[in-house]
Amino acid sequence: MKTLIRLAWEALFLSEAPYAEMRDSSNTVPRGLAIIVIVGVAVALVGLVGATLEWATTPDMRDVQQVVLEGLQQMDWYKELESNPKFRQQFQQQFDMGWRIFPALFGAPNVGQAALQIVLLPLRLAVVWLLYGIVVHLFARMLGGQGGLGQTLGCTALAVVPQLLNLASFFPYVIVGGVVGTWTLLCRYVALKTCHRFRWGRALAATLLPYAALAVVVSFFACLGGVLGALIFGGGTAQ
Amino acid sequence: MRELLQLGWDALLFKDAAYVRHVARTDVLKRGLALLVLVTLLAGVVSLVVNVVGGLQPTDMEADLEEVEAGLREFFESMQPFFPVPPDFERGVREGFKAARPGIEIGARIADLPTPLPKPVGVVLSNLGAFLSLPFSRLAGWLGYGIWVMLVAKLLGGRATISQMLGTTALYAAPHILDVLQPVPCVGGVLGLVATVWGIAIYVKALAVSNEFGTGKAILATLVPALVILLLSLVGLTGLVLFALAMEGA
Repeated sequence: MKTLIRLAWEALFLSEAPYAEMRDSSNTVPRGLAIIVIVGVAVALVGLVGATLEWATTPDMRDVQQVVLEGLQQMDWYKELESNPKFRQQFQQQFDMGWRIFPALFGAPNVGQAALQIVLLPLRLAVVWLLYGIVVHLFARMLGGQGGLGQTLGCTALAVVPQLLNLASFFPYVIVGGVVGTWTLLCRYVALKTCHRFRWGRALAATLLPYAALAVVVSFFACLGGVLGALIFGGGTAQ
Repeated sequence: MRELLQLGWDALLFKDAAYVRHVARTDVLKRGLALLVLVTLLAGVVSLVVNVVGGLQPTDMEADLEEVEAGLREFFESMQPFFPVPPDFERGVREGFKAARPGIEIGARIADLPTPLPKPVGVVLSNLGAFLSLPFSRLAGWLGYGIWVMLVAKLLGGRATISQMLGTTALYAAPHILDVLQPVPCVGGVLGLVATVWGIAIYVKALAVSNEFGTGKAILATLVPALVILLLSLVGLTGLVLFALAMEGA
């Protein structure tokens, strides 16, 4: 456990040594998985504390909803239209529907959701790690990489450590933002460069190719969905 | 801590030896990041105190709104001698302000709603959260731009490793200690500008030292990403304008 924490801490600062140590160790995949689970659970537990504190300093969402509704009903445009019963009914329906979506979108604290992350976050990190690890390994081998699949998975598991920045969410209202994604990308670059003994250009290509492949797949399915939609709905209206 | 402050001071004075010693260290990124975070937090302390004290004061929404309206009136009056503000524009701003009033009232009523913990705890925690978010915001900007600079530097033959380049360019944050005076009207803005220019100069120096190339290449590596972004924005904007014109024509 102590070794894993040391490896994770050093990997965060983009030094090649921890990635080389992982590459050369005998049980890369179980160690990688252990790091992901530890990071995921730690971040989720700390996030639960932050979410609870945020909930405790935020008014009840039902009270907020009532205040917003009353405020809207006091506005001139509402008063002009409220004599129409159909408008009142539709307004209430849309307001209630919007209220189910918007608080979550705007980051209203949800302790239940935060508690669920203790299971979901390590799971999500592990799935992304496996998918990225396998795909990037294929590209790395195509580019002349020398590492095995286990080594690629072990090294890319260390690239999950920027998630540790989310430990700051112990304090409510802290916004960590996009820095985790960028830092993860840099860690993946160092992981692949070290694991496959690449020069910088090939390491960069191997790091980015899975993202490019994902973009192509998403675009393909979006186009396919568009064409199918046009065929189904366009054909229906033509008749 | 003392060593870190010394590094920051030497970076501010562009001392070659300090930059070279810093690049050669194995913990270059750790030290660079520590300085960046320390400077950002120190620079934000005054704003934190001002915001917490302000947040703990009882608020009078009517008085606040009147103050904003008076400020607007004063602004338009002071503008008259230099730039005659069209009456329509002034009326439009006043009407917009009036239209926003119900929304402001809703916000004030929400702020008055009870919370499980006492209100002052919420004020302190929300301001502390904003304060602790400052380093992340600076890190995001520095890293997001830095990866493109690194790419250009590599293409120009730069020899720095990723941690050397990031660890050294993080020194650009040192002059931003001047941001501590940001809440002071006028002076804060000017000092912010000084810190930005000074920070860019340190960034260029750091790039040159870590990559072992000349200042010309360092300036090029620093500017190219910005120029590419500018170019892409111009292309996008032109495309939008052409699209709008075409739609109008159709």
